[in-house]
Amino acid sequence: MTLLWIALLPLLGVLVPALTAQRGRSFCSLATAVLPATALVMTLLNVPALLDGEQLRFSVTWMPELALDLAFRLDGLSLLFNLLILGIGLLIILYAHYYLAKDEPFGRFYAFLMLFMASMVGISMSDNLILLWLFWELTSLSSFLLIGYWSYRSDARKGARMALTVTGAGGLALLAGLLLLGDMAGSFNMGDVLASGDVILADPRYPLMLGLVLLGAFTKSAQFPFHFWLPHAMAAPTPVSAYLHSATMVKAGIFLMARLHPAIAGSELWSVVVSLVGIVTMLYGAWFALMKTDLKGILAFSTVSHLGLITVLLGIGSPMAILAALFHILNHATFKAALFMSAGIIDHETGTRELKQLGGLKKAMPVTALLTTLAAAAMAGVPLFNGFLSKEMFFTESLATPVLGGVSWLLPALATLGGILSVAYSLRLVHAVFFKPAREEPPKTPHEPPHLMRLPVEILVVLCVVVGLFPAFMATGLLELASEAVIGSPLDFHLAIWHGVNLPLIMSLLAFVVGIALYWRHGNVRRFTQQFAGIDARRVFERILISIGYRSEQLIAALEGNSLQRYVGWLWLAALVMGGIGLVQITDLTGAAGNQPLDGILILGAVMLMFGGVATAATHRYRLISLLMLSVVGLFVALTFARFSAPDLALTQLSVEVVTMILLMLALFFLPQKTPRESSPLRNVRDMLLAGTLGLVIASLNYAVMTRDTLSISSFFVENSKPGGGGYNVVNVILVDFRGFDTLGEITVLAIAGLAIFKLLNRLRLFMPHSDGEGRVWSPDRYPAVLTSISMTLLPLALLVSAFIFLRGHNQPGGGFIAGLITAVALILLYMARGVAWAQERLDFPFQPVAVIGVAVATLTGLGSWLFGHPFLTSAFGYFSLPLIGTFELATALLFDLGVYLAVVGATLMILANLGKVTTAHRPVTETSGKDTDAAAATSSAKEPR
Amino acid sequence: MSVIVEALISLLLIAGGIFVFIGSLGMAHLRDFYMRLHGPTKATTLGIGCMLIASMLYFWSVDGKPDIQELLITLFLFITAPVSAHLLAKSGLHLRLKHADKTQGKPVELRPEEVGDKPVPHPDKGHG
Repeated sequence: MTLLWIALLPLLGVLVPALTAQRGRSFCSLATAVLPATALVMTLLNVPALLDGEQLRFSVTWMPELALDLAFRLDGLSLLFNLLILGIGLLIILYAHYYLAKDEPFGRFYAFLMLFMASMVGISMSDNLILLWLFWELTSLSSFLLIGYWSYRSDARKGARMALTVTGAGGLALLAGLLLLGDMAGSFNMGDVLASGDVILADPRYPLMLGLVLLGAFTKSAQFPFHFWLPHAMAAPTPVSAYLHSATMVKAGIFLMARLHPAIAGSELWSVVVSLVGIVTMLYGAWFALMKTDLKGILAFSTVSHLGLITVLLGIGSPMAILAALFHILNHATFKAALFMSAGIIDHETGTRELKQLGGLKKAMPVTALLTTLAAAAMAGVPLFNGFLSKEMFFTESLATPVLGGVSWLLPALATLGGILSVAYSLRLVHAVFFKPAREEPPKTPHEPPHLMRLPVEILVVLCVVVGLFPAFMATGLLELASEAVIGSPLDFHLAIWHGVNLPLIMSLLAFVVGIALYWRHGNVRRFTQQFAGIDARRVFERILISIGYRSEQLIAALEGNSLQRYVGWLWLAALVMGGIGLVQITDLTGAAGNQPLDGILILGAVMLMFGGVATAATHRYRLISLLMLSVVGLFVALTFARFSAPDLALTQLSVEVVTMILLMLALFFLPQKTPRESSPLRNVRDMLLAGTLGLVIASLNYAVMTRDTLSISSFFVENSKPGGGGYNVVNVILVDFRGFDTLGEITVLAIAGLAIFKLLNRLRLFMPHSDGEGRVWSPDRYPAVLTSISMTLLPLALLVSAFIFLRGHNQPGGGFIAGLITAVALILLYMARGVAWAQERLDFPFQPVAVIGVAVATLTGLGSWLFGHPFLTSAFGYFSLPLIGTFELATALLFDLGVYLAVVGATLMILANLGKVTTAHRPVTETSGKDTDAAAATSSAKEPR
Repeated sequence: MSVIVEALISLLLIAGGIFVFIGSLGMAHLRDFYMRLHGPTKATTLGIGCMLIASMLYFWSVDGKPDIQELLITLFLFITAPVSAHLLAKSGLHLRLKHADKTQGKPVELRPEEVGDKPVPHPDKGHG
């Protein structure tokens, strides 16, 4: 259980800064640090159990259909990474407390930082491939937020976007790779996957899977050729760089390769690809680190270089190489975090990161100078520092590996070259900043930072030195655990500073001598390289992105060109192709059941339907007539339903038809009554062909289906309607009980649509024609007395009908939906007959709460079944007796139906009444209209714009 | 079913059929909008009412108990049909539809905006 808490505490920590940001920065920083510190302590408390060889696992089934479990593990590798993530994370919180300017929103920064920390801890502890991927994506997202923290800066935004694009794309590849991997291993459980390495290696899909997984790892860990995002991510605040780009995020790719090492590493493909990519990255990064003049740029490229080094070691893959890789992960995190924070201090206190403006700072900041020098010495691999040990191990492994066959001598040679470059850039970093006299004045007068800001650097540097001096004491235990987790068996090793005079030591010495010489002649090298035109990765990247966007736009323009007609055309064409394929495959169109008898009424109905359809299309330029023709179609559809024993559908269709017609009529008010001829003859032919063919195909499909005896699920509903749902009206029981969840979703959509339309109509000011198409002004008799008085008489009758339809719905045709529409129509009639002002005075409440309450009632009814221990939306019914009335049935479905009713009434009125209001002087106003005649009418709508 | 009831139902059905036919014929045959309006709104409504009553009587005599649904439908029909007719006529007048010479009562006299002495502005004052 503690495993779950270790993973969850940082996630909960996201809330802490949000809650405490009001109470000042000191309080907020302290409060934020509490949860990760607790998680760190809990991790450490698990160490004894780990040493005893216990398998620490935690697993809860989450979404078994997706093979996603909430599964965590804590083994040596997770321990190593948890210590790095949480430990350095705490130091970063302390550092950021001083680093961020006074007026910056630190609460948001801490929240992003905690989110990132939580996702990293999640990656390191996931015991399920999908879960791992989930956290992986979360790191991409949270790092985007962190890199773009100074969102007012263009370089921060671009850097963040680039990082997100590259790592996000890599994440998608990784998902594909992990799905393949899980499929090969037959399980997404990490333990099972790691144990089935042989099966995975033998699988023919192995190269594809490996490529995808490595794509994910390489993009995340900034390996060549995906390294370019990392230097641009330096636009982030320095605490972020120190955390993400030294200790954590870029190590996620490395972590993945180490974690999956037992499962996917055993092949030659792996060795060659991974070590080659690593060595190229190492040299590329080191070279550019030497060339950069921006302090953080140097560190960024050196990070790329060191990540390459670790990748090489993972590619070599021998047990000692793995050990060296893990050791270097640890060492690199300590010295690089220290260096980044030092760079941040220098930036903070001098106002610049340009080497040109820096120099001679050892006088002004002696302590920082000492700390930076020590950390840089560790980076260069000076003996007695931790970097030296892992680098010696790297040299040893590069000599021993047979990966490159006949050209195996190349690897030690290139490794030495990397060493030379790393000595040179480390030397340059320290010398140019602290010792060389400055060429230009920095913008601020430099001085030492507050002591507590330096404290994280001090702690890390002390670690570098102590690990370098007493490696066996400091690191052996942790590395034993971690290497056992990766390799699978305990590894016997001994960390020592002195191994006697051997080839690796000579390589180190060579690296120092040549490295110092290289820095000495650094000016010549720079002059040489300046002859080449530099490539700005961001420019290239942006250009590619823009060109992709442009091409896509062109493609879309060529396909549909923002024309709704063409868009629908493609949709129909796709439907035509799919339906056509289905049709071609059946041998005989007429099925075994044969034709049904035909009679005159049916034929007449069909003819009228066709007439309505054709007439709607033919008269489309005269909108009102076209609308009338459409209503003919609607009416005959309703009659068809009635003819084929679907009274519920017929009633629904009829009421929907009425509401739709009113809606379209209201919309017509704003449209010209005629439209010009817009289609060319060719387009008409195309559309007719498409529509005609589609009609034929759909008709054939329908015919084929209806002449066959098909097994349908309807018999289940018919049989279970009464015993299961307590109603004789199967349609209604399906709506409110069997498929109640669908209905709930639908009324929610309806309510949301109503709200959206309401929102759109609010403050909409449309052109209001004062006359019809032929110039006749509207009739001044707006509310004819006959209509007015009759609509008043009809209202109670209509409401009565509505109540009747509602109540009988469970057993006979009817139900909440139809009843809701009838009520809505009755009220709309009132609006039309008496005008908005009159109706509004009497219906003095907004409709949006009605719709919302409806959805709430339906939801609560569904939730109510939980109280009785039943699944969501189980309905209950019973029979009760009352004197005089007799026995009657009460069902919770009725309550659900009430929710449907209210949602329908609310949403429909929200749409219609508001659309109607737009056509009158009572439309919602932005500013109070003080006009004489409008004033009286406007008061009612101005107080509560609906 | 007694002969009297049967005869009554038959009479209502025949009367209904005749009225509906006359209404349809009028709609097809009469010369202007105002005349044509009479057919579907009056004759046809009456005809349908007859048929509905016939239906009610028939099912009453077959099932043995009265069912007032048809009566309610008739009621609704008789309430709504005059209103529709009225509104249609008003629109016709407003739109100045052509009328035959024989039509009594010239539409112009009934158009309210021309009865008053000055033009009536649109209630919403036109453009918003």
